[in-house]
Amino acid sequence: MIEATREDRLIETFATLADTLVAGYDVVDLLQTLVESCADLLDIAAAGILLADADGELEVVASTSEASRLVEVMQLSARAGPCVQCFTTGTVVSLPDVEDSPPAWLRFRDSAREQGFAAVTAIPLRLRETTIGALNLLSTVPGALRQQDVRAAQALADVATIGILQERTLRESNSVREQLTSALTSRVVIEQAKGVISHSRGVSMEEAFVLLRTYARSNRVMLSQVAQGLVDQTLVI
Amino acid sequence: MRDRFEATEGALTALAGDESRLYEPLLGVLPVDGLSISTFGDFLPAETVSASDAQSIRLDELQLDLGEGPCWDALATRAPILEPDIRHRPTRVWPVFSEAIIDDDLGALFAFPLLLGPLRIGAIDLYTTRPGHLSDLNIRQTSGLATVVSRLVLARAIRLAEGDIEGGAESSRQFSRREVHQATGMVLAQLGIAATDALLVIQGHAFAAGRPMQEIAQEIIDRRLSFAVNENQIEGSHD
Repeated sequence: MIEATREDRLIETFATLADTLVAGYDVVDLLQTLVESCADLLDIAAAGILLADADGELEVVASTSEASRLVEVMQLSARAGPCVQCFTTGTVVSLPDVEDSPPAWLRFRDSAREQGFAAVTAIPLRLRETTIGALNLLSTVPGALRQQDVRAAQALADVATIGILQERTLRESNSVREQLTSALTSRVVIEQAKGVISHSRGVSMEEAFVLLRTYARSNRVMLSQVAQGLVDQTLVI
Repeated sequence: MRDRFEATEGALTALAGDESRLYEPLLGVLPVDGLSISTFGDFLPAETVSASDAQSIRLDELQLDLGEGPCWDALATRAPILEPDIRHRPTRVWPVFSEAIIDDDLGALFAFPLLLGPLRIGAIDLYTTRPGHLSDLNIRQTSGLATVVSRLVLARAIRLAEGDIEGGAESSRQFSRREVHQATGMVLAQLGIAATDALLVIQGHAFAAGRPMQEIAQEIIDRRLSFAVNENQIEGSHD
């Protein structure tokens, strides 16, 4: 019975994503929906997506929590950890117990341990031979993800990849690189907009993001447009 | 007139990287005989960045050496200093500077501060050989152009400093520095300025304090450091 419910939710998620892809959307918002769906559907505590910038460095573009601690764990994983291994090999990397990290991953291990994460699965965002980033799934209890969860996550990651590349086609950008840079740049503007709200409303960055996203949703405006308006000071929320 | 003013802004901005020529567009649009742009004050080295002629260089050097004169007062008061007839009917007297220029062929002296948010960067000194006033419009326009010059001169100082240290390592990895972007948002909201200027303010502050931008950004986010302008207090700095 519970399985059926989950299946329904999974179908619902794909339907939502498909709708998003058909209508206008922006990449950061799509990826945000995706990580939230992952956290909702899979047996995990947190999720995040990293994309490679022009220098091939992985940067967090969306995560279930904006807490800098979570971002840091993923960023360290992207320097030396499961995330970068997944990115370079283009394959799923499963670390059922962070205590089993190889010596090169010690900084990542310490940070994960400190934040209470016990297991990590990294799923590649891959288009044929090119890997453009990785989806990271973090659990607070040790153990590998169930195979069907990994499959579901890979399917969601594939949708994200298609979303990023489709937007590229829509914008007629010249390269995947350019498209990734544009996604990362809109993330920069979103961070700035969080700062604007944090100042004007006297709230934390996390709360600022919630306000930003809620405003975009309820007014049916793209997240990146709202963010740009706030930064240009043509919009006040 | 407005178009000319905007064109001057554009011409100034186009001189980024070639700051010694910044005087050129200004001289073309303002009713003065010569001008100089210098950095000094809180944290930048005292130096002339751009000057139109020998007289301008002399005025600048005198003030920088003596530590007094219109440009110092302009920066200290964050407002233009206007001396329409400096030799015969001065409104201010500087003990050494006034004495030093007694034989110079000067009519009016004007000094406009170079500011960006809370940062005091330097000044523009302008002179005419005959006494004369700047119109209110001239004053407003020069103040506006001074903001453009401030941005360029600060960017130049940071660029030179970064070149000295580590080839601008701070400017790379721009996407991962979330705290810096968040702090940029806070500062732009505090000061009502553009994001690029807010980033310059943070950069300049870090530069002045000799500390990493990331640290300064974290202090801004934690509300331990604010650039918000209060009624009596321009620099809401922590130190």
